[in-house]
Amino acid sequence: MSHRFSASLGVLAAVIAVAPVAQVAGQAPTAAVKKTAAAKTKAVSPARNTPRTSWGAPDLQGTWDYATITPLERPKELAGKEVLSQGEAAEYERQTLERRNPDRRDGGAQADVSRAYNQFWWDYGTKVVGTRRTSLVVDPPDGRVPPLSPEGQRRAEARAAARSRSPAGPEDRNLWERCILGVNAGPPMVSSAYNNNVQIIQTPGYVVILNEMIHDARIVPLDGRPHLPKGMRQWMGDSRGRWEGDTLVVDTTNFPDEANFRGASAALHLTERLRRVDADTLHYEFTVDDPQTWTRPWSAAMPMRTAEGPIFEYACHEGNYGMFNLLAGARAEEKAADEAAGKGPR
Amino acid sequence: MPRKLSGGLAGAGLLVVLAAAPAAAHHSFAAEFDAKRPIRLEGTVTKMEWINPHAWIHIDVKRPDGKVEKWMIEGGTPNTLLRRGFSKHSLLPGTVIIVDGYQSKDGSLKGNGRDLTFPDGRKLFLGSSGTGAPRDGKDSTEPKR
Amino acid sequence: MRTQLPGALIAVAALAVLPLSVKPTAGQVRAHKAPRTADGKPDLNGIWQTMGTAHWDIEGHVARQGPVLALGAVGAVPGGMGVVEGGEIPYHPWAAEKKKENAKNWLSADPEIKCYLPGVPRATYMPFPFQIVQTPKYVLMAYEFATASRVIHMDNPNFESPIDTWMGHSRGRWEGETLVVDVTSFNGQTWLDRAGNFHSDALHVVERYTAISPDALWYEVSIEDPKVFTRPWKMRMPLYRRLEKNLQLVEFRCVEFVEELIYGHLRKKSSK
Repeated sequence: MSHRFSASLGVLAAVIAVAPVAQVAGQAPTAAVKKTAAAKTKAVSPARNTPRTSWGAPDLQGTWDYATITPLERPKELAGKEVLSQGEAAEYERQTLERRNPDRRDGGAQADVSRAYNQFWWDYGTKVVGTRRTSLVVDPPDGRVPPLSPEGQRRAEARAAARSRSPAGPEDRNLWERCILGVNAGPPMVSSAYNNNVQIIQTPGYVVILNEMIHDARIVPLDGRPHLPKGMRQWMGDSRGRWEGDTLVVDTTNFPDEANFRGASAALHLTERLRRVDADTLHYEFTVDDPQTWTRPWSAAMPMRTAEGPIFEYACHEGNYGMFNLLAGARAEEKAADEAAGKGPR
Repeated sequence: MPRKLSGGLAGAGLLVVLAAAPAAAHHSFAAEFDAKRPIRLEGTVTKMEWINPHAWIHIDVKRPDGKVEKWMIEGGTPNTLLRRGFSKHSLLPGTVIIVDGYQSKDGSLKGNGRDLTFPDGRKLFLGSSGTGAPRDGKDSTEPKR
Repeated sequence: MRTQLPGALIAVAALAVLPLSVKPTAGQVRAHKAPRTADGKPDLNGIWQTMGTAHWDIEGHVARQGPVLALGAVGAVPGGMGVVEGGEIPYHPWAAEKKKENAKNWLSADPEIKCYLPGVPRATYMPFPFQIVQTPKYVLMAYEFATASRVIHMDNPNFESPIDTWMGHSRGRWEGETLVVDVTSFNGQTWLDRAGNFHSDALHVVERYTAISPDALWYEVSIEDPKVFTRPWKMRMPLYRRLEKNLQLVEFRCVEFVEELIYGHLRKKSSK
């Protein structure tokens, strides 16, 4: 069943406003919905009932949950299918939950170890996004991250080699295993296995994006000040914010060589957009522009809905027994291999 | 051109794509724990560390020869449990649990809690709304609401 | 106390109308009415930092040798007047011994050296700036050290924490000009300074932040921990506004600086 909507911006805004993520029952996919998802949220007329702060700015405040079953990239098997029907979405959710269920014990011992622990520890989310798009990526239109540049490819291979070999030290592991940065906080933020939570706090001069993992408070000034000097690189870059109508636009530069997002480089220029859709929904969209890593810029959109409960402390480094264990395990394996080969201690 | 899909999205290719995700999230467990060293322990909880990035449950395991071994069992982030209403008062010392998992690669008395149950087979920390499981009062670790 | 008079006259006028019992002495809160936020509360927004040596030792102390020879004068501990009211921390006898042991084992025992979250109140007087972002429901305090932060839940006194944490659980309210923050649910693993002063998981902290001038706050902390101290006691110190234009907290994640220290013994030995 399909409906035809006019493509006017006002109607598109209404579609967004009445498509809360948490419920499966939403609008049927149409050309207008596709256009909505792909459109940059520039200055648009305010959605109905946009909450405002006491000084008149759009109110983005709250604790938000961005868990979703929709993958970042459109699965190859769904190429060309931009949006699922209600029935297809329900089936997709069912199959994903079944496939992903860590309580299954099939697949052999190695797969079993990697499934790590019971379902009750995880919080991947159980629903696709309210628009039922088949990917979070909205541009390029095929819903897939563009190809890596040659430099990006080279770095990706080096990273993969480091991860697959026995770790010499912590630097061979990724940034969240080292408890330096969270796996889903980026920036940009992308849904992952658990704790997909962020709290937003606003004053006239700042918007704070406080990610649960790893207790990162990005304090974004809104006063138009310049970025840090080019020589100052930070793990989460350096963010500056401004309002475009009811959309908060956050511009982030000054990333280091190995930024926290899919192998991005120091050339990364990230643009994030946040807009309050209704009382329970925030629309979050980002554009990744890193010519050293990807052959073209690309964008993704992810709705956020009101979270259950507050942000809890995520003290990572303090409790990182895992890093001891994996390094000790690697050294034990080497020792065993040496002894088996008749060599003395290294 | 849209691919023709069967009514149930049952393409095997799609399932292969989805399977990759959970393993990738915790392949560090594959680096910590040894698939060739499965363990199954029954132990008494002495304490639970409600910490990140992973919670750790400490148990005393009595061996057939009477010796008591002190094991540490790794779980997930406690924050997902906290959001479902559990707290440091859940899973108190003295509780008997069964741990099905794998021992750490360095041979120390550590394991991952691949499956955590009570002796009667019920999983720990159920009775929440996250998985749709009803609160039926049978889980003694379930918060009283 | 509102007035249009220029600075010096404001100060004199303020002194003149204070009741005798609150006559300012060294260390007393001076009356000052901060500008208001949109919701009518004293505006404590800004970037703040302490001066002094509380981070080294909250009790009064003279300069002393540091444990790292190669750092020379840079690694020596500067002297400072204490911030503890009454001068001495009232330890139980066992705890006084434990403090001495902590001090002796500082390099291996101090959680700050491992870049662990500093807890409260230590986070306040670390030698790094911190930022207050203040709203009616939540007050964020973001500390540069270890990217630590905490959210103070305002006017929510019955909100309990389900677990114990490094930074504790903060509930705040306004008492006139003062932001009062009640902090509980500590995990007991933080210290109070680099001199080995410590506490247990029974720690209960009450902080009071009061503006005393446009660019300074008075910070008073009540410490209560019956496991460790024989009675409650207090610390007090000014917090100074960082005045530089466009100042921002610069990342000091610090985990990357301590990995070799913590995991170096597990590094793969080169066969070279």
